[in-house]
Amino acid sequence: MTLTDTQPLIPIKRAKDEGARLGFRLTLPAQLLVLFIAVFPLLMQLYISLTDWSPLSGASWPQAWQFWNSFANYSEMIADKRLWSALGRTLFIIAICVPIEFLLGLGLATLFVDDFPGKRVAYSILIAPMMVVPAVAGYMFFMLFQSGGPVNDILSWFTLDPVAIAWLSDRHLALVAVMVTDIWQWTPLMFLILLAGLVGVPADQLKAAALLGASPWQRFRTIVIPRMKTIIIIALAIRVIECFKIFDTLFIMTGGGPGVATETISVYIYKVTTNDLIWGYVAAIALAILIVLSIGAVWAMKRLAR
Amino acid sequence: MSAITLQHLVKRFGAFTALKSMDLAIADGEFIALLGPSGCGKSTTMNIIAGMETPSEGRILFGERDMAGVPMGRRGVGFVFQNYAIFTHMSVRRNLDYGLRMTGRPAKEIARRTSAMAELLGLTDLLDRPAQGLSVNILQRLAIGRSAVMEPAIFLLDEPLSNVDAAFRAVMRTELKSLQRQFKQTMVYVTHDQLEAMTMADRIAVMDHGVLQQVGTPLEVYNTPANTFVARFIGSPGMNLFTGTLTTTSAGLAVDLGPLGISPPLALAQAAAAQQAKGAVIYGFRPEEVGLAPPSEPAFDLPLSLTERIGARTILHLGTPQAEVRAVFQSGTAIPEGLLRLAPAPAAVRLFDAGTGTALLVA
Amino acid sequence: MAEISFRNVSKRFGTTQAVDNASFTIADNEFFCLFGPPLSGKSTVLRLILGLETPDEGEVLIDGRVVNHIGPAARNIAMVFQNLALFPHMTAEQNVRFPLVERREPEARIKARVADAASKLHISHILHKHPGQLSGGERQRVAIARALVRDPAAYLMDDPISALDARLREEARVELKRMQREAGRTLVYVTHDQEEAMSVADRMAIFEHGAIRQIGTPDALYDQPTSAYVARLLGAPVMNILPMGANVITAPARPGAAHLGLRPEDLTVTPQPGAAATVTGVEPLGGYTVLTIAAAGETLRAMLRGQPAFATGTPVSLSAAPARLHFFGPDGTRLAG
Repeated sequence: MTLTDTQPLIPIKRAKDEGARLGFRLTLPAQLLVLFIAVFPLLMQLYISLTDWSPLSGASWPQAWQFWNSFANYSEMIADKRLWSALGRTLFIIAICVPIEFLLGLGLATLFVDDFPGKRVAYSILIAPMMVVPAVAGYMFFMLFQSGGPVNDILSWFTLDPVAIAWLSDRHLALVAVMVTDIWQWTPLMFLILLAGLVGVPADQLKAAALLGASPWQRFRTIVIPRMKTIIIIALAIRVIECFKIFDTLFIMTGGGPGVATETISVYIYKVTTNDLIWGYVAAIALAILIVLSIGAVWAMKRLAR
Repeated sequence: MSAITLQHLVKRFGAFTALKSMDLAIADGEFIALLGPSGCGKSTTMNIIAGMETPSEGRILFGERDMAGVPMGRRGVGFVFQNYAIFTHMSVRRNLDYGLRMTGRPAKEIARRTSAMAELLGLTDLLDRPAQGLSVNILQRLAIGRSAVMEPAIFLLDEPLSNVDAAFRAVMRTELKSLQRQFKQTMVYVTHDQLEAMTMADRIAVMDHGVLQQVGTPLEVYNTPANTFVARFIGSPGMNLFTGTLTTTSAGLAVDLGPLGISPPLALAQAAAAQQAKGAVIYGFRPEEVGLAPPSEPAFDLPLSLTERIGARTILHLGTPQAEVRAVFQSGTAIPEGLLRLAPAPAAVRLFDAGTGTALLVA
Repeated sequence: MAEISFRNVSKRFGTTQAVDNASFTIADNEFFCLFGPPLSGKSTVLRLILGLETPDEGEVLIDGRVVNHIGPAARNIAMVFQNLALFPHMTAEQNVRFPLVERREPEARIKARVADAASKLHISHILHKHPGQLSGGERQRVAIARALVRDPAAYLMDDPISALDARLREEARVELKRMQREAGRTLVYVTHDQEEAMSVADRMAIFEHGAIRQIGTPDALYDQPTSAYVARLLGAPVMNILPMGANVITAPARPGAAHLGLRPEDLTVTPQPGAAATVTGVEPLGGYTVLTIAAAGETLRAMLRGQPAFATGTPVSLSAAPARLHFFGPDGTRLAG
């Protein structure tokens, strides 16, 4: 008995086609979902961005063509000073927060490579901030940064006169408060990603380097970092893209204020959408940002594929 | 100085004792093999010499100097890992000159020493290639070169040939041996392959379960194994060993080996050694020391169960699975049908204490 | 029960010719070895037998039937992978019975077959353990039992014991040989270790760059290699190949011969003061001794029984029986006679 006759003889090629067909069928619900959630709204957005439509106009959105103004929204964007300062502010926040989160995360990760007593507990505590709902985090830090709040209390321990800084009412300090919150919440993410990268560095190579006379710093510089290049790019790309969109935490803390002192691009879009209700313009802004971020993401992917 | 002395070395990992009090003196410029099965403690010993592990008890001395507290970067040892641990994200050149760069040597010196080493190892054409994706042969040379360029007095190699296929192993063994002669360093070589140890080492340290079993030249451990472990581990195949009781026959003192029958009478030297035993004894002989005996002489009568003809040598598996005897003959020797009458050369018989397995040495 | 045949099978991967016009027949119940250096096509041939690859040209036949387009599941060939692929979350017994459970065999039959395989491979006492708790050798035997339990027409093994310690390898190959005899199944076995191949094979096929250079019993391949390539692949130390006219040993003239081949064990070495050849290296290996000898600009190796006392630098004279000489033509083919 060489070939079992309980199983039909299935030619290999047909088996492969069937596999592909089954895969298609199984992923159909997910494909439809993506179509509805991502593709369809995107097309909607493109359409509206080429018009001057607003919900106040009395027409429903499919009739936005009545207010067609083609690329006028886009040229208005370029002249919009408030937009550009919001953008500048956002980039400023990224430029400060992301490097700090990266360095802190990396530093913490190096501590967690080897075992130490209480590692699991320390790990859970370190991860906790990431688990907090961003809006809740916003509210938490809103309370913390009040004039009579805990931050000022702690600072008072170090000064003679009691500290009563009005963090959230000061143009500059409000930004600081917002950045502190972001760093608190997202350093754990960097920590996690970089820890995974660190653990992937072959221990043998580190030992070999040590035996050849390399100091811990030299090993870090010549072996650990180069081998973590891919992970570092991923971590930075993720964080930059997310930080660009910073909204809920910040909005609950400051509402974009005082004035426009903490108005990031997301806050600006939100305000224009809800206050001015010129949705055509807003759609254009959002689409423009999407394109810019996508280009950034593709660039990061290309570097990874190398 | 590059002589190494291990004194009462003990290493524990939690409840597990990897090394149980090891004493070993390695001479300057010697090529010594640490030989034993997986888990015998040979790699642990080497890691302690290198400074990658600290002993739980005992000391290591390089020459006269106690190495306790000396970090691994400062010991002046070269180390070749089993998988070579090449820095695959760097070029061949940056691998070779890594140690020199990290220790801050002047640029001119680095260039000079690196190209000299590359020349010696035949790597000059590959210097600017990435170290990734190179053949195992080249990686081995690179791994050695990277350590050798630092001119260490002591070279440690951790099973460097175990990742190499059998076909290349012989070629690379020869290369390693000639490199050692060239550099004249003290070389400590860890392996589980007794043939490798016999081929390359000046002396072999046989280990099992964290205990040093015997240290000696290849011929010493082959001809006069200190115990049954060494007797079985060295040699391809290892020594045939059977427990039996001393018995007196008409032709002299012999050993009753139960299912195998009575052994041929012991030669004088062996008989004298046998006096140290009290009745029970382990009787051993190497497969190469066995010959076909004529009908008139006392011998074992053994059925043949399997033949392995491996080129010039043929290994015969005789007897029963419970009492298997192996014999090695030159290929082409006529093997008769039916039961084979085999007797070991009397001078080649080795006796061991039935309780401890220690060799009963001829006075 | 299963004769496996290849008829002019070729397989390409991109620009590499992995298998080049291979033809052979493996008889029923044979221990057949595919032997050659790494990347010479042996593993690809195994995959073609198994059905994981389809030939670009030629036919694969099992029991006289062309199976080119039949999937692996239907071919009833079992495979033991080098990494064993045991399920770590199951016990050894669950691993072994897995193929039969998948086929919905009746429980009584499963129990009987598992017990049979376990006793053949001496693993009955460890069936309750998980693979993580077993030694390498034990895991190997569990993997083989899992293959045995399906009662396949043939099994395939791809370099199963190369990861074991040297001593264990020597014992494992004897066990494999015995196991194959008891199981009474065709075993197709890939290895790059010539000692292993010679020891276990009933017949073997020697590969070079995807092509089969010679097929035969180990003895036939060792004693009558058809090419210098095969001659050098089998035997350790490697056969000495000298250019004709090197004047190292006296050899009869042979028209058409470019090289002379002499196995180290066939070289007779006698100390002789004043001789041209000198011993440059001595390797005492216990049961035999390997001498490296420099003669007339060539390096040769000799294998002598026992432990003759030779020192480096000793002048020696070399000779060999004419019948033990091999002659090779300029293209490497061995000249007959």
